Amino acid sequence: MSELVQQALTAFEKSLDRRLLAALEVCARCGICAESCHVFAAEPEARNAPAAKAEAVRRFYRRLHDPLGRLFPWWVGAKDLSEADLDELAEIAFGACTLCRRCTMNCPMGVDTALIMRAARAMLTAVGKAPEMLTQLADAAIAREENLEFFREFYIDQIRELERELQERLGDPSARIPIEKAGAEILYVALSGAHTILPAAILFHAVGADWTLSMFEAANYGYFLADLQRAKAIAKRIVDEARRLGVKEIVLAECGHAYTVLRWEAPNWFDDFPFRVRSIIEVAAEWIQQGRLPLDPSANPEPVTYHDSCNLGRNGGLLEEPRIILRAVVQDFREMMPNRAENFCCGGGAGLVAIPEWYEKRMRAGRRKVEQIRQTGAQIVAASCDNCRLQLGDLSDYYGLGIQVSGLMDLVVKAYLAARERVQAPTLSIQAAAQARV
Amino acid sequence: MSATALWGWIVLIALGLSMVGTGWRLHGLLARPYRPDRAQPRGRGWRGVLYAFTWGMMPWAKESTRHHFLPYVRGVLFHIGIFATLATLAVSTWRSALPDWIAAAGLALTGIGAVGGLIGILMRIFDERLRALSYPDDYASVVLVTLWQAAGVAFWADPQWTATFYGLSALTLIAIPLTKIRHCIYFFFSRFFFGLFYGRRRVLG
Repeated sequence: MSELVQQALTAFEKSLDRRLLAALEVCARCGICAESCHVFAAEPEARNAPAAKAEAVRRFYRRLHDPLGRLFPWWVGAKDLSEADLDELAEIAFGACTLCRRCTMNCPMGVDTALIMRAARAMLTAVGKAPEMLTQLADAAIAREENLEFFREFYIDQIRELERELQERLGDPSARIPIEKAGAEILYVALSGAHTILPAAILFHAVGADWTLSMFEAANYGYFLADLQRAKAIAKRIVDEARRLGVKEIVLAECGHAYTVLRWEAPNWFDDFPFRVRSIIEVAAEWIQQGRLPLDPSANPEPVTYHDSCNLGRNGGLLEEPRIILRAVVQDFREMMPNRAENFCCGGGAGLVAIPEWYEKRMRAGRRKVEQIRQTGAQIVAASCDNCRLQLGDLSDYYGLGIQVSGLMDLVVKAYLAARERVQAPTLSIQAAAQARV
Repeated sequence: MSATALWGWIVLIALGLSMVGTGWRLHGLLARPYRPDRAQPRGRGWRGVLYAFTWGMMPWAKESTRHHFLPYVRGVLFHIGIFATLATLAVSTWRSALPDWIAAAGLALTGIGAVGGLIGILMRIFDERLRALSYPDDYASVVLVTLWQAAGVAFWADPQWTATFYGLSALTLIAIPLTKIRHCIYFFFSRFFFGLFYGRRRVLG
């Protein structure tokens, strides 16, 4: 056994807890999971069935842990792990499975194939077989924290620029994008770029929220690598910032995996985690239900459908909140079929969208999603995850869908600004009439 | 000692071995760390677990089982047959004292299971996708359990088949922790984790 294989197996053993062991042992190879996978739905070959993909791990697991696998490997499909197998496994775990758990929902045994694939990713990362792009992105995020002073000034300048844009859009010079505001109630963690900062800033201003913008972005490529150390280091920047500022709540931008990481995983990683973590989707839905946001759905007259992100929906529980929002902000909301927990992955999840060499692969994997969108006849596809939005935009170009892809908050802001304008217009005309009289 | 009594002892020894093997499997599982989810739940874990073992097992509860309705029902009947065959083994000593309706029910249920098993064997042989997923262990396990159920049918039909039924029972019991049949041990854990995960996240249940 080579040193590399030995290293991989050591990493695998570290992942082998009760949940993983049950998932590895329980599969009856009935194959009923096959069609539930978007990769199989696009390319119905036996190797694309979730059970077949997981066999790439089960084979060496059985060789190591099963008595018959040790004595008569051919009888139970057990096999020693080789370096060539590691390359094949990398193609499967990073390229043919987006950890969406649709197969788990559809398995009579409840086999958690995503968990098996995460264990595979962890061992592949440990031996340097993970896609280079994901590793680089994760390391860049860690480096940002290590060189924070270098970035701080530049970042603050950018935010001030954005603040001027905010003031212009709202016509309100008092509108602010606070950074590092100690004692704020909310720490808002955006993604890289203005597109998740400006809409949130408009809405925070609209309801008079006490908030501050994080110095860091929500994305966590360490999580895609299933590298606990890297994932923890990236999440720690935000957790430390929240502690330092003494916020009560962390609110995350529209990002699927960031929600999984900070809402569901990070409380397991840090002993002291005294914050509530919510997505901006939950917060906006609450504001809408409380009547705190005036909204005019006629600002969004086009037919809109919603793509449930796997991390937020099926694996995060945010199934109704997006619908509360959409029913309030658009005129013609159409459900994709199937939807909610049964929705298909867009094909770009779990980091696939960030790997340029697998573009064709993810375009093929998104074929089922394209069919779903076409059936709705929608002109706008709303998605609350940046990776999904990127993938949906690419799918639209690739398959000539001609759709517009939008974040939920963009639609909320449009409806809010329209309602605000409607309220302000009569006031302004009264003021103008009064001035004319004077 | 009569032949039947001898077979009875063999079954008891097989049961003992099966329990040791199952215990070893359970120990292997429970010795592994359990990493509880410490995140604030959105829903109730127990509701998810309840769902996972009840409504969630219904053929209409999942897209996959709605699409594969008949194969899934076949699987359910096959497993009902397994429980019936186990019950048959448990009451076999008192065969002659049992009322006729129990014998009739035993015959019907083990019969349904055996037919389900036979269809399962044919599916595994002729369905290209299933064949690609299968190892010798998969075929052997389903053949063994189907034969065991068929022996259960024969036992209810004619007590002459008691020795055959006991022999196949002993083989099946020993095979439980060793072969693919062991998924029955892990099923409860896997569905529990599944239910807990989705219940806490208010996705199911």
